[in-house]
Amino acid sequence: MSRNASVAGSLHEEGENIGLHRFALFTACSTAFLIFVGGMVTSHQAGLSVPDWPTSYGWNMFTFPPSKWVGGIFYEHGHRLVASFVGFLTVILASWAWLRESRLWLRLLSLGALVAVITQGILGGLTVKYLLPTSISMTHACLAQTFFCLTIALTFFTSPTWKHGLPRVHDGHKGLALPTVCALTTGAVYLQLLLGAWMRHTQSGLAIPDFPLAFGRIIPAFANYHVAIHFAHRVGAVVVTAAIIWTFSRLVRMHRKDRLLIGPAAVMLVLLCIQLTLGAFTIWTEKSPFITSMHVATGALILGASFLLTLRAFSMVVREKAWQ
Amino acid sequence: MRKTLLVLSLLSLLAFVACGKDPLEEALEKRAGGGGGDVATGPALTATLKGKITFEGTPPTPKKISTSSDPGCKNPNLVSEEFVVSDGGLENVIVYVSGGDIAGKRFPVSKDVVTLSQEGCHYIPHALTLQVGQPLRIVNNDDTAHNVHAWAMINPAFNESQSSKGVENTHTFEKEEVLLPVRCDVHNWMNSFIGVFSHPLHTVSKKGGAYEMKLPAGTYMVTAEHETLGKQEMMVTVAENGSADLNFTFKPKA
Repeated sequence: MSRNASVAGSLHEEGENIGLHRFALFTACSTAFLIFVGGMVTSHQAGLSVPDWPTSYGWNMFTFPPSKWVGGIFYEHGHRLVASFVGFLTVILASWAWLRESRLWLRLLSLGALVAVITQGILGGLTVKYLLPTSISMTHACLAQTFFCLTIALTFFTSPTWKHGLPRVHDGHKGLALPTVCALTTGAVYLQLLLGAWMRHTQSGLAIPDFPLAFGRIIPAFANYHVAIHFAHRVGAVVVTAAIIWTFSRLVRMHRKDRLLIGPAAVMLVLLCIQLTLGAFTIWTEKSPFITSMHVATGALILGASFLLTLRAFSMVVREKAWQ
Repeated sequence: MRKTLLVLSLLSLLAFVACGKDPLEEALEKRAGGGGGDVATGPALTATLKGKITFEGTPPTPKKISTSSDPGCKNPNLVSEEFVVSDGGLENVIVYVSGGDIAGKRFPVSKDVVTLSQEGCHYIPHALTLQVGQPLRIVNNDDTAHNVHAWAMINPAFNESQSSKGVENTHTFEKEEVLLPVRCDVHNWMNSFIGVFSHPLHTVSKKGGAYEMKLPAGTYMVTAEHETLGKQEMMVTVAENGSADLNFTFKPKA
């Protein structure tokens, strides 16, 4: 039995806290929505529409009158409020886990999520104070995805599925172990999101104005770094597509009956199709804010699905030797 | 003896305070020209340079801007000011002396306040010029909030809120910078372009693409710069009390 499987088994006896699990799930869903709202801020170029922080036009953030939420302020101030809400949820989640969870590592994980959300809030403030420097804006965007993964991990580890002991599955593949495949895919998706953030925050989203070709060619002339960043994101999309298909086909061939594994992989594949379509329409609509923000949010969902699959694969899959 | 020294020291200090220049003012004066000459008056601007900025071809139809996201804008007929063409002439082109006999000339810093107004959720004027150290007054004349975001690359960038009608801020720039965009992130269609110069030899093309500026006699490199169509340079010579015509032609980008 693998170490993970034995851990899962031992937790079976620890009882459930279904409330904590549901709350973690709600926090994860709220975080996905927050990422969409953050995308709307960038897409509307509204990141600096509220020049002060943590106040909004001199008002306390929570008493800023809705009548003043006009133009870009609606998106930026709305983002701050939703972010505060997620921060508040995270405080409750961490407190709840700290008080009710017996697993120290899970309590520490929830504390990690709290530190991440506080850091994220400070980074958000710094982007405003320092007028959107690319490095801080990118870090803010990437930490958002990392925090989303933390909320998914907390949801997973507090789930009855985990606590009841996940079924163990045999991985008889001679090549790379399934958990490694899943982890590589997750890594590829994360890097692609990083490239996407870099593209967005360097205003390179329309540096190549046509799709599927690039300036009428397969490989464009790299006239400036904007074109290079944009093209790297397109290459990244090809890599991620290949990685997801690779993962999915591996699961279909060897684990099609393992619902807990094939489920997130199928979701990931469907999301990939949606994401590629949204990517194309981002170009064709010249970065329509809604389409672009949906593209950002769908990217986060793909990462979430891939990360969940990876967690499950590491928890469930036993290599041939261990199985025997 | 000690008392005498103390009195002398105090007198010296008083004299220094009374006669000494503000270091910033001194720095601005240095940047305002460089070489010799009386900086208090500067060279006499006796010559006139004028001309027309022609837009060749069919001007793009101004894009209609929807201000529906903010009822406070009260400007349903707003259009893009990227290309304002009247009588075949291109407006909002910044024309300035960029070389030639300007070298070594020192000019006083103008104290005239240049105003950038926010009205109907657009900037008036769309393009403006001023001197290093000259005050720029930015005022909100709308029944809504604006943020004033100067995307400066050479001067310090700034972003400040003007939450209601009547709020104003004044800025000066310490270095030359062309073009320096000013944008509002609340209303992302709002932009204005500023040219900051170390001398007073600059202007902006007006109706019909016409421009005119006063300058000392000499031979100059003159640059005309548009926010999206780039810049063009030409040499011109103007005599004392004389006048010269210098025309530029901009074409739409392919």
